[in-house]
Amino acid sequence: MHSAAPATGAFGSERDLGRRALDTARTRGASYADVRFVRREVEDAQVKNGALENVDRVDSLGFGVRAIADGAWGFAASPVVTGAEADRVAALAVEVARASALTKRDAARLAPVQPVTATWRSPVAKDPFAMSFDDRLALLLRADAAMRAQQPKLRTTRAAYEIWRESKLFLSSEGADIAQTITETGCSISAESVGDGEQQVRSYPASGGRSQGQFGWEFAERWDLVGNAPRIADEAMALLTATPCPQDLRTTVILSGNQTMLQVHESCGHPIELDRALGTEAAFAGTSFLTPDTLGSLRYGSEAVSMRIDSTTPGGLGTFAYDDEGVPASEGWAVKDGLFVGYLMSRETAAALGKASNGTMRADGWARLPLIRMTNVSLMPGAAGTLADLVADTDEGIYMDTNRSWSIDDRRFNFQFGTQIGWLIKGGKLTEMVRNPTYTGITPEFWGSCDAVCSDSEWFIWGTPNCGKGQPSQVGHTGHGAAPARFRNVRVGVIRA
Amino acid sequence: MSNLLAEGERASVVLAGEGALRALADAALAASDAEETEVFLRTRTYALTRFANAQIHQNVVSREARARVRAVRGKRVALSSTDRVDRDGLERAARSAGELAERVPENPRFAGLPEPRAIPSAPAAYVERTAVATPLDRAKAAQRICDPARAKKLSAAGFVATLVEEVAVASSKGTWAYWPRTGSEVQVVAIGDDGTAYADRAHADFAALDVAGAADEAIAKCLIAQKPRDLAPGDYEVVLAPYAVSDIVGFLSNQLTGLAVEEGRSWVGGKIGERVTGPVTLVDDAFDPEGYPQPFDYEGQPTERVTLIEDGVARGLVYDSQTAHRMNARNTGHALPANPFLPVAPMHVRLEPGDKSRQELVGAVKRGVLVTRFHYTRWVHQLRTIVTGMTRDGTFLIENGELAHPVKNFRFTQSYADALGGTLGIGRDLSLVDELLAIAGMSRRVPALRLARFAFTGATRY
Repeated sequence: MHSAAPATGAFGSERDLGRRALDTARTRGASYADVRFVRREVEDAQVKNGALENVDRVDSLGFGVRAIADGAWGFAASPVVTGAEADRVAALAVEVARASALTKRDAARLAPVQPVTATWRSPVAKDPFAMSFDDRLALLLRADAAMRAQQPKLRTTRAAYEIWRESKLFLSSEGADIAQTITETGCSISAESVGDGEQQVRSYPASGGRSQGQFGWEFAERWDLVGNAPRIADEAMALLTATPCPQDLRTTVILSGNQTMLQVHESCGHPIELDRALGTEAAFAGTSFLTPDTLGSLRYGSEAVSMRIDSTTPGGLGTFAYDDEGVPASEGWAVKDGLFVGYLMSRETAAALGKASNGTMRADGWARLPLIRMTNVSLMPGAAGTLADLVADTDEGIYMDTNRSWSIDDRRFNFQFGTQIGWLIKGGKLTEMVRNPTYTGITPEFWGSCDAVCSDSEWFIWGTPNCGKGQPSQVGHTGHGAAPARFRNVRVGVIRA
Repeated sequence: MSNLLAEGERASVVLAGEGALRALADAALAASDAEETEVFLRTRTYALTRFANAQIHQNVVSREARARVRAVRGKRVALSSTDRVDRDGLERAARSAGELAERVPENPRFAGLPEPRAIPSAPAAYVERTAVATPLDRAKAAQRICDPARAKKLSAAGFVATLVEEVAVASSKGTWAYWPRTGSEVQVVAIGDDGTAYADRAHADFAALDVAGAADEAIAKCLIAQKPRDLAPGDYEVVLAPYAVSDIVGFLSNQLTGLAVEEGRSWVGGKIGERVTGPVTLVDDAFDPEGYPQPFDYEGQPTERVTLIEDGVARGLVYDSQTAHRMNARNTGHALPANPFLPVAPMHVRLEPGDKSRQELVGAVKRGVLVTRFHYTRWVHQLRTIVTGMTRDGTFLIENGELAHPVKNFRFTQSYADALGGTLGIGRDLSLVDELLAIAGMSRRVPALRLARFAFTGATRY
């Protein structure tokens, strides 16, 4: 996966500055320090109602220094890449750490990791930064036009892409020297209809924003945005007059792959973050019902439910060679046959449990410190065949597709989600379209009611490029493999129309 | 290299200064060959000391900078952004935006960059004491929370943050606007074995930040929040603390824009001049000295004070230059830095106070629920203002005008506009509820509210 050659890449002068910063931190008294240089190039484009609404190219470079001094943590960062600033920022990180020690009860401890020298690049078939802007934009314009041609009465149509490349250099006082470059591509279309007191939206290939993968432009092309645009337009208009979702009843629910993905993200991915479980996100994101005493014993779901933590999954937004603490990518179980068995861990939180880190620390650019972030947390495929097979096997219920609303409590028990569209299932067939579908439940009860997951052919590694966490806030990119899945006795229709 | 942010010790403290930013903006404008060019500059030092388990565990100081150049060729528009805020970086961004603007198709709706307009004076938003706060200052503030929490056998989590920032906007049409400002905030969740409570304070002046008040409020409430009992979900009369009211105001006010009406997702669309909610008055006031004042928007246009809702009647919307042009309305100066997600918004919202003390609000309730804070609120249906979310960190049953006991947290699914439609009482004290809004250049000042009905549609286990 990675070469053993010395990492040179595009960080020649930055490497020298990084070593200087580490020297300064040590001189000032740091017992541990690391430095990350991060260069990020992004291009976003949005077409709205047939015209290019926005195109923005972002070029970012800076560095952050993390230090332990007097047994406590400090972090400082700057976009000024000079020797004097490297000294200032490193010294400031140590000063901040010393201030942190004022309230210290337990000294920071890190689980050991073997420092390596390595380079890695994510594979790209069609480099989005090497192709012409005109070609990228043409896809959006054609897709947007196809929606409007199909349904001229749509209030708003949108088409968007993002191409994203991050190169980062990680150096630690333990001797790590790791350079990585990751390329991502994301895209989406959406159609919005308004009428008679209703406002509806349909988007594709996933919910609002965009679907994103660790790929080149081949990712944008695989979805056939233009070919799917008429269907999305038709569904957005049809929703205006569709029957409201049945209200406040219990029934069987089948979730699409892209909705199951979000269910995994919110109700498994976040509660298996060990920092949450240990209380360090308590004031903001919250804690977790998956407390350390439940590891290996709590029944999280039915035996049909198995979830992997895997930062090697090809194309996943949580795929890399090393995390931002220099810990190698890994794979393991979070939930095995319904039993909760594994956390997402950092070096510090792993040490608290007497374990080794499984490498999940990532930062949002150079100005933020690494946090435990989901890598690729995936529901493994089952044996229910295709979506059509699963529907055919269901006498009565509701099929719900593409997220519209999501909310979950601060321990990740009580959730409520809404999707953009649904269809009633009767006698093994999708029948009437319904609008404003919602469902709610308690996480272990809900996953406990899962009796079928579709097979490999329906499984896809979805990407969530907008996961919020931390204070200051950070946006994380996470991956989630999922296939459509069926849940029994689910409460649906909790909305006052 | 003339790197602005590396210029000596001054930069290690706070501001680049108006002269330095103007010189950089001028360099970018000179480097652009576009017909019209706009430069937005922001530099900041953001420091946040975060504690959990009653000790500091994350502690950051980040110097940040962002420049964004908008280049216009006729109806062709493109942006280029960089955090290389020096002459080379700005000139490169200007050239990049200009080159991109040659390639993009025309946007027939684009109205051109706005003409420069006079910027009115506003109360100062910059306080030197905040700008020079040190890591030790913030750590001592955190200690002021963690120590008393421990003394009461509680834990504590939260943060103490300071921000110093300057923004500037320049354009080839002659726009120049510059504004320095500071902000500070403390958030506290006090945590017992079986119950939590929240408090928040914010102030432009770190020396005036009421850290002790936040700590004392959260700790006192936490002590009575232990062992919450089950209470059946349903419709209840409620008293909402300002932290919860802030969430309602945020959701509703973001739809009070010309753009939201244009896109058909605003709850006041087609209803200006009509009664849309209960007897509340909501204004956007960028000149409120108790907020984080700023007299211009991120297009360098003067920001007007706008009455959004007056005694329940929809009165006004806010606009940026582009939506104002499309809708034949007056630009009120409410553009955010160009972005596709929230390009225009009320940024300094105030829900006007009433005449009730918090005790009077609770005292008037025969049977209801006191909510301290909402969590993870999301639209279910924008047009009907239906939102779902959870309560957290201090939820109590009120009986006969007094807090009876803590209750386990609820899920709600509720139209926020309808909820305000049942306003029975408005607190007389306003709270500046920051919730990291300062970093986005926003502020909200809101009172506590007593509402006739709130739909709790589920419950959780704690």
